[in-house]
Amino acid sequence: MVDGATTGLFLDAAGMKALGAAIAIAITGYASAIAEKDIGTAAIGAMAENEGLFGKGLILTVIPETIVIFGLVVALLINSA
Amino acid sequence: MRLLERLWGQKPSRKSDKKKKGTSNYPYAVTRVRAMKSKLLPKESYPRLLNMGIDEITRFIQESEYKNDVDELAMKYSGGDLAEHALNRNLALTYDKLVRITSGELNYLIVAYLKRYDIWNIKTLLRGKIYNASAEDIMESLIAAGEFTYTSMSELAAKATYQEVIEGLKYTEYYPLLQKFDGTNLAYVENELDKLYYTILFEAIGKPRSKDRKLFVKVVRLEVDVKNLINLFRLKKAGVTQLDEIMPLMIEGGLELKPEKLASLSYDEFVNELQRTQYWDAISGVTGPDITSLTTLESRLTRYYLESSTILSHVSPISVVPILDYIIHKNNEATNLRIIFRSKEVGLNDELIKDQLVVI
Repeated sequence: MVDGATTGLFLDAAGMKALGAAIAIAITGYASAIAEKDIGTAAIGAMAENEGLFGKGLILTVIPETIVIFGLVVALLINSA
Repeated sequence: MRLLERLWGQKPSRKSDKKKKGTSNYPYAVTRVRAMKSKLLPKESYPRLLNMGIDEITRFIQESEYKNDVDELAMKYSGGDLAEHALNRNLALTYDKLVRITSGELNYLIVAYLKRYDIWNIKTLLRGKIYNASAEDIMESLIAAGEFTYTSMSELAAKATYQEVIEGLKYTEYYPLLQKFDGTNLAYVENELDKLYYTILFEAIGKPRSKDRKLFVKVVRLEVDVKNLINLFRLKKAGVTQLDEIMPLMIEGGLELKPEKLASLSYDEFVNELQRTQYWDAISGVTGPDITSLTTLESRLTRYYLESSTILSHVSPISVVPILDYIIHKNNEATNLRIIFRSKEVGLNDELIKDQLVVI
């Protein structure tokens, strides 16, 4: 039995939700990675000259992690809706 | 975008971008260089240095970034010579480090800029050979910061005559010019080498399209202007007015000044003309017709150049300009320390030394 109202083109409603959650995680993960790449290399450059900058470098490097956390929250909301 | 470009296959490369930007490690190199810049001597240390004797200054720099260099050379030299060689060694190692920690386009531009030390070394070799200096003496004055390695230059320094030195440079881009050297026209060849350096540098940069290359060119052009301006002041003060005498000494490619227009003017007209340029604020107080020494004027122009390069380095923070800014400031620090050492050695008074220093 296939219910036409809840079926998408290829997937049913649960499948679409899962796909939405996956896209939310994947894109935000990729965005964090790009942001952290530059900040991380910059932090290593600064640390190579001055080891005392380790703490600051680490904090600045993980700040873009918030992007993927937003993605995670959105993914969870989609799944629980 | 880069990913798309890579998937799409090679786009026809633009003439100005000889190395792809994607292979450069801008954030790493720029932050590291900024950290290095923070280790330069602060301006507060110069008044203290002026109150010290030579041995105290040597000790002072031994406790700073120059520690390894002073330690290494302390066995062979002492006093002013020790400082001089430590400074040269440190400069060479620092610039070598810049070349090592960069890659791609960034590395390409820095190597092109540092070719000035190749020119410096060729000049040193030729001068040394003309005046029959020993190979050791010549080697001590070389700064291995350019493309030529210290080993290859030592081999050149060991040659007997300047002809052999020039033959040794056969496969370099300077060879056609060096062939014109006949043992008597050293000044001419040196001037032409300087001009050749800027020609090669502008060629290497190509037609700047990106914002950071435009800024890079701007800093180099500013340097050309400052050099031309200092030369023009010296020539005007010495009473040289002939256009055909002045023009061969001018470097092409300045930012704002037109040497061909300024060269034929009298001193007063020349100064009036300068009032319309950006350099006037820096030199306005020291250009009167009765000034006897150009030292203050030259150091003010150099300071203006240094300050401008720092300002431009903030315009484009992740680019080649902050690295260029560091190169210039590091060179200035070495020059300042050298001035202090040499002046102390011959016993100049502090006021005179202070006039020569460019402290930012």
